Amino acid sequence: MKPNPDRIWIVGVAGVLAAVCSLLGGYWLTRPLDVPVNARVPELDGRPASTALVENVRIGSLFQSGPGRASDLPGEWPGFRGAARDNQGVATAPLADTWEPTGPPILWRVDLGEGHAGPAVWAGRVYLLDYDETRRADILRCLSLDDGRLLWERGYPVHIKRNHGFSRTVPCVGEGVVVTIGPRCHVMALDAVSGDFLWGMDMASEFGAREPDWYTGQCPLIDQGHVVLAPCGPQVFLAGINLRDGRTAWTTPSPGHWKMSHASVAVGAIAGKRMYVYAGINGMAGVSAEAGDCGRLLWKTEAWTPAVIVPSPMILEDGRIFVTAGYGSGSMALDVKRGEGGQFAVSVVKRYGPRDGFASEQQTPVEYGGCLFGILPKDAGPGRNQFACADGMGTILWTSGPGDRFGLGPVLLASNRFLVLSDEGELTMAQASTEGWKPMAKAKVLQGHDSWGPMALAGTRLLLRDSKQMICLELKR
Amino acid sequence: MKGESRRDFLKKAARWSVLALLGGVAFRMAGKPGAGRRSGMVWQIDPAKCIQCGRCETSCVRTPSAVKCVHSYDICGFCNLCGGYHQPGAKDTGTGAENQLCPTDAIRRRFVEEPYFQYDIVEDLCIGCAKCVKGCAAFGNGSLFLQVRHDRCWNCNECSIARVCPSGAISRVPSGRPYRLRGQG
Repeated sequence: MKPNPDRIWIVGVAGVLAAVCSLLGGYWLTRPLDVPVNARVPELDGRPASTALVENVRIGSLFQSGPGRASDLPGEWPGFRGAARDNQGVATAPLADTWEPTGPPILWRVDLGEGHAGPAVWAGRVYLLDYDETRRADILRCLSLDDGRLLWERGYPVHIKRNHGFSRTVPCVGEGVVVTIGPRCHVMALDAVSGDFLWGMDMASEFGAREPDWYTGQCPLIDQGHVVLAPCGPQVFLAGINLRDGRTAWTTPSPGHWKMSHASVAVGAIAGKRMYVYAGINGMAGVSAEAGDCGRLLWKTEAWTPAVIVPSPMILEDGRIFVTAGYGSGSMALDVKRGEGGQFAVSVVKRYGPRDGFASEQQTPVEYGGCLFGILPKDAGPGRNQFACADGMGTILWTSGPGDRFGLGPVLLASNRFLVLSDEGELTMAQASTEGWKPMAKAKVLQGHDSWGPMALAGTRLLLRDSKQMICLELKR
Repeated sequence: MKGESRRDFLKKAARWSVLALLGGVAFRMAGKPGAGRRSGMVWQIDPAKCIQCGRCETSCVRTPSAVKCVHSYDICGFCNLCGGYHQPGAKDTGTGAENQLCPTDAIRRRFVEEPYFQYDIVEDLCIGCAKCVKGCAAFGNGSLFLQVRHDRCWNCNECSIARVCPSGAISRVPSGRPYRLRGQG
């Protein structure tokens, strides 16, 4: 068969073109680039593989007594968010409806190490876990509620670098024992009267906990003779520690690759079951708080995954769970239901961004009258940093308006009035109402900045702080 | 019809040439970088008013924009997790592209010591999009903010960004104090 000359011609031209293209392509791929290209890959920041500072911390090794005497005044605020962990105080006498321009009388003031730790009050004593920069030590100070003078202080040397201050947490007092969690995850239990050391624990070495960025903000919970901790490490999610001897009573295995957040453990009943709820980084879970199966994992979800969580989960009166966080996260409402077999199931009811509803960056909101109250985060759009009221699903009902912004400051409810503290130390009192913002009085009571530490109300005395000083106000009429 | 004489034509041509030359010089003087500086005022952004709308990137007559992100180290927290550097949902704080907010790799993260990291702006890569500024404002204390860089700004008589700035954040400031920096009073 005679070959077709046209076919030979076409194949030849195609072959030459293919060869030329290959040569040009090869040249293009192998020639040096004439524009600089930076690969955006991990580990370009020069961070060493391991920078963990291994420190032999002798918890409770420092002690000093002072001239103060415990007060006979009534009223307690025994831990984070008060006795019921709802941030609602019970005033023991009527509170003043108005203040002098300078604010309520300041009864006493004490200088503190820089930070945001809040006080607890029990039996006329004020407890605050401070950081002493001179001694480089976490120090639990026990002060008189009368005059702020020192009764005793106990602590331990631990190396902490200033990172938005040092101190963070609120102690918890129960059954005559005061328990603290330090910024580096050290747990210390002392006799609440004498300050005698009972036991100590490093959650990092004991449970593999890893402290969050900016140190831990988790406040301890004393419940049914146990200290409930959330190491949220690779093996242990929650742990119950015997209050008296520090031995581990129960643990909840880690449900996932979760990490410790700045939130604290919430406790409450859902569908007739008492449970602990903790929101870690990458997941949240409910754990039985009942004697028969304490520590058993009841449900878990990985639907709530902000990179930073500071506010604690709220178990609302209707049994739903409300979680919120700053930094673009917004909020989420969850429904936990109990099936016929006793199994719990969790579902997301609503989720929204910070501009689309109620949220909080740093403080856990307050539930009152079926509504949520708190300060909107910086990324809430026009409502940023305003005090707001929302329904249980996070729909904002009203805000304090652009003239009343508060930053990241704390909120406390007592005697049908909200006490709201701004970053700059301006304290505002407003009627507790679901109908609108009704301010009653306002005064600048602190002169420092970053007044973020949670407040405490004992009797009619309000304890509040800025980054370096705590004051005691008399709110009585 | 009588034509134009050669002498008249040359005279007219000379007049127009001189006028064109003067006009060109005037135009050049007005458009030259630094012209406004000689008048004592330059354009600048007030960080307190800036709402990070993104118009500084797209409305400047220069490409890329003469508006750049600047960093006030005085008020920076040097955090491991940085709202100006990391995506809001970043699960890792490393330098991988998937974690970064900046579209042009204009922020360099550098380990200082635990737990501190320094963030530096590479101005040649910065396009003034304000994504990092927005993240820093929402997450941190606003140590990242936008400024008109006067080595790049032509200082036009009417700033094309100021015309479209929705918050009125751009105004003229004395050339003796050409920047509005945070953390320095």
